[in-house]
Amino acid sequence: MADYTPPLRDMRFVYHELLGCDDLAELPGFEEFTADLIDPILEEAGKICAEVLHPINRSGDEEGCRLENGVVRTPAGFPEAYRQFREGGWTAITCDPEYGGQGLPAAADVLVTEMICSANLSFGMYPGLSHGAYLALHSHGSEELKRAYLPKLVDGTWSGTMCLTEPHCGTDLGLLRTKAEPQDDGSFRVTGTKIFISAGEHDLTENIIHLVLARLPDAPKGSRGISLFVVPKFLPTAEGTPGERNGVMCSSIEHKMGIKASSTCVMNFDEAQGWLVGAPHKGLQAMFTMMNNERLAVGGQGLGLAEAAYQGSVAYARERLQGRSLTGTKAPDKPADPIIVHPDVRRMLLLQRAATEGCRAMAVWVAKELDKQERHPEPEVRKASEDFVALMTPIVKALFTDLGFENANLGMQVLGGHGYIREHGMEQYVRDARITQIYEGTNGIQALDLVGRKLGANGGRYLRRFFHPVAEYIEGHAETPEMAPYIAPLAKAFGRLQTATGTVAQRGLANPDEAGAAATDYMRLFGLTALGYLWARMAETAMAKSRESGDADGFYAAKQVTARFYMERVLPQTGALLSQIMAGGQTLMALDEAAF
Amino acid sequence: MAGIEKVAVIGAGVMGAAIAAHVANSGTKVLLLDIVPEGAANRNALADGALARMQKADPAPFMGRKAARLMETGNLEDDLERLAEADWIIEAVIERLDIKQGLYRRIEGARKPGSIVSSNTSTIPLATLVGGLSESFAQDFLITHFFNPPRYMRLMELVTGAATRAEAAEVITDFADKRLGKTVIRAKDTPSFIGNRLGVYWLQKAVIEAAERGIPVEQADALIGKPFGIPKTGVFGLLDLVGLDLMPHVNASLAAALPQSDAFHTANRPLPIVQKMISEGYTGRKGKGGFYRLNREGGQKVKEAVDLSSGHYAKARKPRSDAMDEAGRSPRALMAHDSAEGRYAADVMGATLRYAAELAGEVADSIADIDEAMCLGYGWKDGPFALMDKIGPDWLAERLEAEGETVPPILDLARGRSFYRVEAGKLEQLGLDGAYHPVTRPEGVLLLSDIKCGAKPVLKNGSAAVWDIGDGVLCFEFTSKMNSMDDQIMALLAKTLKLVEAEYKALVIHNEGTNFSVGANLGLAFFAANIAAWDQIESLVSFGQKTFQDMRNAPFPVVGAPSGMALGGGCEVLLHCDAVQAHAESYIGLVEVGVGLIPGWGGCTEMLHRWQKFGRLPKGPMPAPSKVFEILSTATVAKSAAEAKELLFLRPEDGITMNRARLLADAKARALAMVEGYIPPEARDYTLPGPSGLVAMEMAVQQFRKVGKATPYDEIVSGALAEVLSGGDTDPIDTLTEADLLKLERDRFFTLVKRPGTLDRIETMLMTGKPLRN
Repeated sequence: MADYTPPLRDMRFVYHELLGCDDLAELPGFEEFTADLIDPILEEAGKICAEVLHPINRSGDEEGCRLENGVVRTPAGFPEAYRQFREGGWTAITCDPEYGGQGLPAAADVLVTEMICSANLSFGMYPGLSHGAYLALHSHGSEELKRAYLPKLVDGTWSGTMCLTEPHCGTDLGLLRTKAEPQDDGSFRVTGTKIFISAGEHDLTENIIHLVLARLPDAPKGSRGISLFVVPKFLPTAEGTPGERNGVMCSSIEHKMGIKASSTCVMNFDEAQGWLVGAPHKGLQAMFTMMNNERLAVGGQGLGLAEAAYQGSVAYARERLQGRSLTGTKAPDKPADPIIVHPDVRRMLLLQRAATEGCRAMAVWVAKELDKQERHPEPEVRKASEDFVALMTPIVKALFTDLGFENANLGMQVLGGHGYIREHGMEQYVRDARITQIYEGTNGIQALDLVGRKLGANGGRYLRRFFHPVAEYIEGHAETPEMAPYIAPLAKAFGRLQTATGTVAQRGLANPDEAGAAATDYMRLFGLTALGYLWARMAETAMAKSRESGDADGFYAAKQVTARFYMERVLPQTGALLSQIMAGGQTLMALDEAAF
Repeated sequence: MAGIEKVAVIGAGVMGAAIAAHVANSGTKVLLLDIVPEGAANRNALADGALARMQKADPAPFMGRKAARLMETGNLEDDLERLAEADWIIEAVIERLDIKQGLYRRIEGARKPGSIVSSNTSTIPLATLVGGLSESFAQDFLITHFFNPPRYMRLMELVTGAATRAEAAEVITDFADKRLGKTVIRAKDTPSFIGNRLGVYWLQKAVIEAAERGIPVEQADALIGKPFGIPKTGVFGLLDLVGLDLMPHVNASLAAALPQSDAFHTANRPLPIVQKMISEGYTGRKGKGGFYRLNREGGQKVKEAVDLSSGHYAKARKPRSDAMDEAGRSPRALMAHDSAEGRYAADVMGATLRYAAELAGEVADSIADIDEAMCLGYGWKDGPFALMDKIGPDWLAERLEAEGETVPPILDLARGRSFYRVEAGKLEQLGLDGAYHPVTRPEGVLLLSDIKCGAKPVLKNGSAAVWDIGDGVLCFEFTSKMNSMDDQIMALLAKTLKLVEAEYKALVIHNEGTNFSVGANLGLAFFAANIAAWDQIESLVSFGQKTFQDMRNAPFPVVGAPSGMALGGGCEVLLHCDAVQAHAESYIGLVEVGVGLIPGWGGCTEMLHRWQKFGRLPKGPMPAPSKVFEILSTATVAKSAAEAKELLFLRPEDGITMNRARLLADAKARALAMVEGYIPPEARDYTLPGPSGLVAMEMAVQQFRKVGKATPYDEIVSGALAEVLSGGDTDPIDTLTEADLLKLERDRFFTLVKRPGTLDRIETMLMTGKPLRN
C-alpha cells in the first residue's frame, strides 16, 4: 500500500495564492486565522492523517466492524486513533468557540476534511456524522439542548448521527413512519426503525447522540409533518455524564461493498426518550441545515479519494517497469522503462491530477463563500454568498464524488492486475468511493436539486452568483494574449453552459420531464465549466507567481501544463454534453414501461 | 325618440352619484339632484359634496377631467323643472317604496313627455314601483340595475313591466350598451333579479356553513374562490368590500319577497356573529374592518381574520388543506374530497349551482344570461352553468340525489350532455325545452372567443396566435402568460406582417385577456441577465425595435385594440400601431423605470415624436423631452383611455369604445376604413437639446431626491432616461434620425440591465408583484 503524502503545497497555493483566503481574517470571529496559523494547522492535520489514520485504513477494511451483543466493535486501532484524533482537538476545529470549538474557517476545514478522507474514509465517517448533529443542534436546538449536548459533541467525547432513512423510505422522506409521542414532562417517546445509520453504534465514544426524524401524532401528511428529535443513547445526567440507557438499540449492521470500518446500523427506537429540536413539523428544514453541510462534506470525501488514488497511481507508474517507451528507451539502466513514459498512462494520471486539483480549488472557493455567508458584515454579500453556496452544493457533492470514483477507477487501470488485488489498496478506493455517489442524496438527486430547485429559484438569481463573475472574468481577459489558451476554451464551454441553462429552464417549465432528462448531463456540464474557470484562474495565478517569485520546484509550470491539459483534453467534453442536452428527453420517455 | 342627449340622476348617494359620473364618462351631459338638507347654506350640498368626493376618489368614478365638466349639480326643490331637459331620468334614492313613489309623482309633473324614467332599485319589483302611478308613467318606466362601482362593473340588469314601451327599453339598452359600455341583461321582474338573487344566496350559504362547521374564514375564501374561478376575495373578503351591514337588510328583503318554497329560506339562518360585528362597528372595509382587518398596532400592518365562533381576531393564516393540494385545478376533485374542506366546498357550491339551475327560466330567459350576470356582476370566471359543465352535470346531479336533494329540471336535462356545446363553429346553450339554442350576440359585437370556436388559427406559436376575422383582416392575439411580450411574440408578429402584406388588407392587435399586455416577459429577461446571456437580451431588444418599425412602415394599416392594462412593451406595441381603437377602460403607460429600466422598444423615441407633434408645447427643443421625461420617469399610467389621450399614449384621432364586447368590431371597422389609399407614415427626425437638456432633467431628479420622492437608484435610472430623451451628446442645431434615437435607447437599456440595482428591482417585481424602492 502506497504512502499518503498530504498535498500541502497545492493546498497553500489554493488557499493563499489562488483564492486569497487570508482576507477571511478580516471577518468578525476569524481575526486570528492568518497565514501563520492556517499553515501549521494544515501541517498538523496532515501529520495525524498520514501517521495515524492512513496506516489503519487497509487493515480496517480487511477487518470491518462486528456486532456483538448489541455493541459494535470497530476494527483494531480505531478506538486508539479516535482518542488521538479527539485529544488533538480535531473534532472541535470548526465548531463555535462558545461550546469549546476553535472556529476555523470552512475554507481551511475543507482541506482538513480532504486529508482525513484521503487517509481513511471509514474513520472520517464518525467525526463527520458528529459534526452534522452538532450543526443541526447548534442552528435549531433550544439553549437547554445546546448546553447539554454541544460541548460533548465538540470535544468528541460523544458522537452523533443523522437518522433519516427507514426501510421503505430513502429519498422520499414524506413517507416516513417513525412516531414521537409527547410526554407530560415535555419530552417525547420515539418509536420506529431507522436503517443505513452511519456511526449508529460503535465503541469510539461514551455516548451517541441520534438526531431522528419522526412524526408527531397531529402531523400533517407528507414532508410537512416531520419533526426533528434528539435521542441520546444514554440519557445525560445532571452532571453531564452518560446516565440511564435509552430505548435505542442497534439490531444489526450492514455488510457493504466499501467503507467497511464504518458501522452502518439498523437502529430500533422503542419508546426512546427524545426532545424536539426546532419547531414541530419543521424537522425537514432543520435537517436540511446539516444535509447541505453533509453534502459539501461528501464532496470532500470524493476529493480525498481522488487525491489518494492519484498518489497511488503516480507511485506505481514510477516504480512499475514494463516494456519500453514508444519513442525509444528512457531508462537504459533498467530492464524496462517505468510505465509513466507511456502517453496513455500519462493521460490517466493527468485526468486524475486535473480533477483533483480542480476540485480542491472549487472546494475552497465554495467554502470561502460559506464563511462569508455566515460572517460577512454586509447583508448583501451574505445573501450573494448564500445563493452561491446553495447553487454549488449539489455540484460539489455530485461532481467531486463522480470524479473521485473515476479517479479510483483510473488508478485501478494504471495499476492493472495489481490494482484489482487488495494488496495495493487501489480496489479499496474504488469500493469506498462508490458509496459517495449514492448517499446523502444520490448524484441523480443532486442533479434534480440543481435543475429543479436551484436553476429557477428567484428567477435564476442563484445562477447570477456564478455566471456573472465567470462572464466578467472571460471579458476581462479577452485581450490578454498569454491567457488565450485558457480563455478561448473557457468561453466556449461557458457559452455552452449558457445555452444549456436557458434551454433546460425553458423546456423544464413546459415539461418537467425534460429538465429531469437533462439533469445529470447538465450538472456535469456545469461542473466541468466551473472547473474550467478555476483552471484558467489557476494558470493565471501560477504565471503571475512564477514571474513574481520564480518557480524553483516547478510547481507553477506544472500548474500551467495541467491547466492546458484540462482545457484541451477535458473541457471539450462540454460539447458532447450540450449535444446530449439539446437532444431532449423524448427517447428516455418513449418506451412503455413494459418494454423494459 | 332620437336618443339620449341629457340624463338626470336623482339621489347623490354612492350609487346615484357614481352612475351620474359614468353617464358623464360617455360624453353625455348629466344633472345630479338630491334633496336640500335641512338648514344647509348650500342648497346643492349633497350633489356638490358627491361631485367633490368623486373627483378625489380612487378608483376614480370619472374617466377624466372632461367628463367631470359634463356634470351639473342641483337640488330637487330649485331644479325640479330642469328634469324636463332630460331624456332619461334615473332614480337612485333610498330603497323605500313610499319615498320612491312620492318622487315619481314629482318627476311625473316635471319631466318632458316621452322621456324615460328608470329606477336603480335592487330589491323592489317593478310592478310594485309603478303601482298606482299613471299609465303614461308606467309606459316610460323601467328598472336599470347597475352594479357597484358603476364605471367598472360591466353588468346592467334591465327589467321592463307589462306596460313598458318596447322602444323605451330599446333606447336604454342601446345607450347603456354603446355609450355606457354595459352588457345589458334582460331580467324578469323577480326579487333581486339575477345576479343578486343567486349571489346573495351563495354568500349566505357560504357564510352560514362556514360558521356552523367551524371552517376558518381564510380557509373558506380559499376553497370558495380560485378552485371555482371565483375572485380570490372569496365570500368573506367580498362581504368586507360590500359592507356587512347590508347583509341583514338584503337578506330580510329577499326573505320577505320569496315564496316559502324557495331554497333561500333554508340557508337564511341567523348569524349572531355578524350582528355582533355590525353592532361593534366591524362593518367591513368602510368600518373598523370586517371578517378581515388590518391591525396597525405597533406600527406594523398585520392582516387578521375573525374567528367565527368567538369573534376574536388572530393573525390571518395562509390556508392550506389536503383537499386543495390534492384537487389541483379540478373543482370536482375538490368537491369529491373526503374531508371537512371538501365537504364544505361541495355543499356550498353544490347548493349554489343547484339554486342557479332552479332559477333558470324564472329570473331570465336563458342560462347564458344567468352566467353572464354572475361573470360580470360577481367576477366569476365561469357562470354557474359553465361551471357545472366543468364539474360534470351527471356527477353533480348524482351527488344531489345522494344527498336527498331534488335535481332541478334543467340539470336533469343536461345529464349525459352539457349546458353548452359548439355546433358548426357556433356556441349553443341548453334551453328548458331540452333543445340547444344559439348564444346570440347583439348586432355589432364581434368576439374573438366566438371566432375561435369555429376556426383554426392562421398562424400560431407558444406565445401568440393569428385569426382571420373576415373581410381581409387578421387579428393578432397574445396568448402568453399575462400576455407578456417575448421573443416568440416578436417572431410571430414579424411573420404576420409578411403574411398580411402578401394576402390580407389590414391587421388588428387585440386579445380578450383581462389585460392587453403587462409588458415584456420580465422573467425571461431576468433569467437571461442572471446567466449573463447579454447577446440574447440584445437581440430581444433590437429585434423588437425592428419588428415595431416594420409594423409601422408596413404598407397596410395596423390597428391596436387594447383593454385593461397595456404597460411597458404592451404600450410600445400600441405606440407603433397606425391607429388605436381603445376600450375606455384601458390603462396605458410606460412603467419600465419601476423595474430599473427604460423603454427599449422605441417607446422613448415615439413619445418624443408625439409630444413634438401633438403636444401644444412652447417652441424649442426642450419642452417635449421635459414632458416625456416627466411622464416616463414617474412611470405614469393613464387611468382611462381618455387620460391616455391627455398623456399622448393615444393620439388625438385614436378611437375609444365604451363597450368591451364591441371593441374588436370597432377596431376592424377602423382598419378597413384606412385601407383605401393607405400610406405608411413618413420618417421623422428630431431636434433635441443634448447635454444642456440632460442637466436640466437631472436637476429635477435631484430635487425629488432632496424631498425624499426619489430613491438613490431612481437617480441612476432617470439619468439614463434623461440621456436618451435629451438626445445623448447631440446639439440643438443637429438633426437626429429615428435610428440614432433607437440606438441610444438600446445602449442605455443595456447599461441598466446589467446593474445589480436593476436586477434587484426586477427580482422583487417578479417575486412579490411590488416595486422595489432601492
